[in-house]
Amino acid sequence: MVTWTSLIVAIIVISIVLVSLIVVRPSITVGKGGKILAFVSLLVFPALSGGAGMSEHMERSKRTEFCLSCHTMTDHGKSLHVDDPSFLAAAHYQNNRVPRDQACFTCHRDYTMFGDFKAKLRGLRHVYVQYLGKVPDKIELYSPYNNRECLHCHQGARSFEEGATHNAEPGRLEQIKVNNLSCNSAGCHETVHGIDKLSDAKFWNEVREDGPK
Amino acid sequence: MDRSKLERRLRTSGVLVLAGLGVELATLFSSHPTAFLLFIFPGSVLLLIGIVIFLLSLLTAGETTKPQ
Repeated sequence: MVTWTSLIVAIIVISIVLVSLIVVRPSITVGKGGKILAFVSLLVFPALSGGAGMSEHMERSKRTEFCLSCHTMTDHGKSLHVDDPSFLAAAHYQNNRVPRDQACFTCHRDYTMFGDFKAKLRGLRHVYVQYLGKVPDKIELYSPYNNRECLHCHQGARSFEEGATHNAEPGRLEQIKVNNLSCNSAGCHETVHGIDKLSDAKFWNEVREDGPK
Repeated sequence: MDRSKLERRLRTSGVLVLAGLGVELATLFSSHPTAFLLFIFPGSVLLLIGIVIFLLSLLTAGETTKPQ
């Protein structure tokens, strides 16, 4: 099966072959055909390769494996497999409430190299800190988590709109919707990754098509 | 610009583009922030510089056909 990645690799390989022709024999550009070849080899194909490669890398950076590829995120990756429904990230991951292959990106949309310019700079900052700075002992969000990220999926859902706790007092639901009352408030969904509780946690063995993980 | 100078520029452009493509190809076999960064620096940078040199050589190439 031809995948998008193999297609990009093919484009790059073709570009390399064409450019090599120009490097080895630049005199072929004397004629009209050679000039067209040079234009295609040194502009069209490289630009195409660069654009396609960038697109592929941007898609990859949405994937869970990309986020968890840095050892700093090891505990956060483990937290997805905690066998405790009160752990918000685990409950979402294990029950496919978020796509497993984009679990991190789905909830941390404004925290990645996507979104607005500031979010992209924050993403680059992670890499800077990882390699040139000091990773803090406790990893925290730069700013409080916005309910917007939860409401992206949950707003309109019956369990949210008609939930007893969400309607326990007048105006509470509205407060949640305008981000005045955080979904992660104490007493609500306060355990998200629960990094500090991992040592005492039980873990779930993920079942995949190719067998348990 | 005489022919040999044009060919030198084409070769330089080609080598830079080749280097950029090589780096980009290598980064496609990894899913890691470092691969992404290497794709941009130096991958795309080499590619862009190579393309710019080629375009500059196109601008000055017309002088080789000017009648004496």
